[in-house]
Amino acid sequence: MGKKITIDPITRIEGHLKIEVEISGGKVANAWSSGQMFRGIEIILQGRDPRDAHAFVQRSCGV
Amino acid sequence: MEKETRKFYERLERKGISRRKFMKYCTALTATMGLSAAYVPKVAQVFASPQQRATVIWLHFGECTGCSESVLRTIYPYVDEFVLEIVNLAYHETIMAAAGQQAEEQLQASVKKYDGKFICVVEGSVATKFNGGYGRIGGRPFLDIAKDVCPKAAAVIAIGSCACFGGIPAAKPNPGGYKGVGEAVGLKTVNLAGCPPNPNNFVGTVMNYLLLGKLPALDELGRPLFAYGKTIHDQCPRRSHFENDEFVEEFGSEEAEQGYCLYKLGCRGPETYNNCPIIKFNDGTNWPIGAGHPCIGCSQPNFWDKMTPFYEEL
Repeated sequence: MGKKITIDPITRIEGHLKIEVEISGGKVANAWSSGQMFRGIEIILQGRDPRDAHAFVQRSCGV
Repeated sequence: MEKETRKFYERLERKGISRRKFMKYCTALTATMGLSAAYVPKVAQVFASPQQRATVIWLHFGECTGCSESVLRTIYPYVDEFVLEIVNLAYHETIMAAAGQQAEEQLQASVKKYDGKFICVVEGSVATKFNGGYGRIGGRPFLDIAKDVCPKAAAVIAIGSCACFGGIPAAKPNPGGYKGVGEAVGLKTVNLAGCPPNPNNFVGTVMNYLLLGKLPALDELGRPLFAYGKTIHDQCPRRSHFENDEFVEEFGSEEAEQGYCLYKLGCRGPETYNNCPIIKFNDGTNWPIGAGHPCIGCSQPNFWDKMTPFYEEL
């Protein structure tokens, strides 16, 4: 396994993102991205009046 | 000072903002803050003299960045420039150039440099369950960052209902154990509630701090009284229709077209404190009820649970 670079936080985006990159021989050998925030809007929506759903899901991202 | 003021107006001119237009904005802002017209030139002077800039460290937790968008884009043409005239934005993840470790270093350095003097603006709520596993930045849980940074600030402004009261991530069943930042950290915050809050109320709060050296008077929920002192209902331009029993019963109906009262479609205006009817959004263009949609009560605590279902009458 080569050198591993981690960038967290990734800025200039909405939300909280981590990128990990594995470098081998000067090239990217592998990469991972992971969202670092979970609010659970899908879980929160369960059992609610469907007419309200638009107001909840539009808050996924305000950008 | 005079030279700086002159340069400021020259800069505005180059951006196509006349002195007259700028003074109009300052007048509206002064009125929003509940101050007399005598303060208008003083408000203008705060914008024009850079030595009075406030350092702001802006933290993002469990949020959608809609509150940042609200502040940065929509107050007035080019008003992002106005905000940046009065604010030294030392840390803001959405607009800063640095990322990763450099961003973290910038946060630490800014907190150290402006210790006890900066205004901490918090957007989003703080995950408390599972050791903060629902939200991390640079490997640190939101709660650790909040507990580290917030107590070092001169003032903490919670922007938006998430930071104030938990907001949407804290809606039932609140999977991540999200809390408003004041509750999570255990300190008093200025709560600019709303989803999103009106940017003029943010500028008004910062202006109050710069102009009078103190935070504005707050209600029992921590919200500035100048903005949250009256209900939507009491300031609503459709109020006379309510008094006259003229209601919209269905979207798209004749009554809706007439601009009748939205109470029967579930309007939460009678229970919601905010100044939306007066200052409106997008440079005073419009606001939800003006566009024909009932108020959803977004500046009240736990409105995602207490005000829903939104379309059922109160």
